[in-house]
Amino acid sequence: MAKTQYYIPVGPIHPALKEPIRVEAEVEGEKIVKVDVKRGFAHRGIEYMGMKRNAIQTLYLSERICGICSISHPYAFVIGSEKALGIEAPPRAQYIRPIIAELERIHSHILWLGVVAHEMGFDSLLFWTWKGREKVLDLLELLTGNRINYSVFMIGGVRRDIKESHIKAIKETIDFYRIFTEEMKDVFLSDPVYKARTRGVAQLSKEMALKLNVCGPVARAAGLRMDVRQDNPYDAYADIGVRAVVPQDIVGEARGDAYDITLVRLYEIEQSLDIIEFCIDNMPEGKIMAIPNYVVLLSKIKKTVGEGIGMHEAPRGEVVHYFKYDGTRDGPAVWKVVAPSYNNINSWAPLLLGAEVADIPIVVAYIDPCMCCNDRVAVVRDSDGRTLDYSLIRRKAVEKTMKIKKELGVIE
Amino acid sequence: MRGELLTPEQVIERLRDSLGDAILSHEMKEYTMGVRKKKAYREIWIEIDRSAFRKAVEEIFKLDYPHLHFIMGEDGGGDSIKMIYGFALYHGFPWKQVSIVLKFDLPKSELVLPTITDLMPGAETNEREIREMLGIEFEGLKNKRHLFLPDDWPEGKYPWRRDEYGVEDMVKHTHKSIKEIRRGE
Repeated sequence: MAKTQYYIPVGPIHPALKEPIRVEAEVEGEKIVKVDVKRGFAHRGIEYMGMKRNAIQTLYLSERICGICSISHPYAFVIGSEKALGIEAPPRAQYIRPIIAELERIHSHILWLGVVAHEMGFDSLLFWTWKGREKVLDLLELLTGNRINYSVFMIGGVRRDIKESHIKAIKETIDFYRIFTEEMKDVFLSDPVYKARTRGVAQLSKEMALKLNVCGPVARAAGLRMDVRQDNPYDAYADIGVRAVVPQDIVGEARGDAYDITLVRLYEIEQSLDIIEFCIDNMPEGKIMAIPNYVVLLSKIKKTVGEGIGMHEAPRGEVVHYFKYDGTRDGPAVWKVVAPSYNNINSWAPLLLGAEVADIPIVVAYIDPCMCCNDRVAVVRDSDGRTLDYSLIRRKAVEKTMKIKKELGVIE
Repeated sequence: MRGELLTPEQVIERLRDSLGDAILSHEMKEYTMGVRKKKAYREIWIEIDRSAFRKAVEEIFKLDYPHLHFIMGEDGGGDSIKMIYGFALYHGFPWKQVSIVLKFDLPKSELVLPTITDLMPGAETNEREIREMLGIEFEGLKNKRHLFLPDDWPEGKYPWRRDEYGVEDMVKHTHKSIKEIRRGE
């Protein structure tokens, strides 16, 4: 008898994947009959490193866990540390933190919308959404100095204040995204091709979502009202009363497929805009750090014996950090990070089983995978092949931030 | 579909009813959050006897289908590893989510635990990670391939162990400063 089953490896390096992971599929014709997911290609032992450093170093190390949700890990870290240390951030800092986190959610969701458009071969949509995303990245650079890896959070507060002139730029950006989100809804949700390509693809039932322990938009698209900002609120989220965005509230039923997850992400952008608006309208005055002196902070950590769980709702789902300070070191004695993709990748194997080969990119992309990209070595060369050193790159970056500030009319 | 919503006190009461003396100690941690509308939520931290682990997990699943936050093990360098399981009950109800943290000691002479993948298939990822990072065997875990570590990782080496099975001798510069490396430490 002729051979009917073929083995198709996808990854670790593959055009459909932006980060290294490997999907091994056995196919019969177009149908996938067996599937295995191999991860760990970007594993750098970051928890091991964190357990050797002090808490402030580890905080910024946690920021390097992921390039896209680079405020989510520090957020969970500071919430967990504050719980373990028994300190509280000043009110103003508690309002600044959600602004940065929600701006990040907006850029992450728009990034995903572009990626999924690309995965189905709709590249003009990719470029259009990503062009719209630039504005929020510019705003983040204006507020923090960087497009990604903002380094603004600190245990017990934030390191940078939001000034009056920043608020004007934030308001302008909100107005832009109100219109842009309406346009995106129009393009994604009413487009017949998009609907045909996503309806019923990567469908996850409510029961399956619970059993596979998924979180974030993946769980919400399946109809589970799961959102850390709602279940265990923190900072300004506690004042706002955030509610999980689920498809049954928007269109009446939750099917948990790639179309529903698009719906959830698009409506969450609007929710984020509301949260940012609330925060800038109700921002309390006052200081931004509970313990401004890092030496004092570190010596307090060194004297603390305590544990805590820090949770934050990242754009992709729940980020959990577990800490233990044992009173002998100024850093965590035990540090465990669980990122949302850690749980959400669980859904790949069951979803791919029985699907078609052409669905692999969509199933892989729909959870918005993020392989905790820690590979931080980058050597940049100019057109003549000369290596650009750190000081030159930094000077160029500062010049660009100045340019953005001038364009957006911000005076320090 | 879901059971009634219990308060953290009632949850502890239920666990105490079924586990009895196996609960060595318990602690209720309260955290007040918010600026203008301050409100508190509580977490339950329980220390149990190792033999009651499986029963405790089953009891938690009876209350509500939980979300598994994390599984972690701490090797303090002594004769046992402290296992820490974080579950969340009643997710989806504002302010009502109750995190339960189960802790127990596992002697290094007998690093075997029953799996929970039969109750929650999604826990496979967590158990495989703990298995390769700390060398704990899970009875009933079907897929025992490495999760994050490469397939050719040497046997008997576990990155999170702080004893002779640790990886100190395999690590070069991951966590040292340039000054320390220059000084030859």
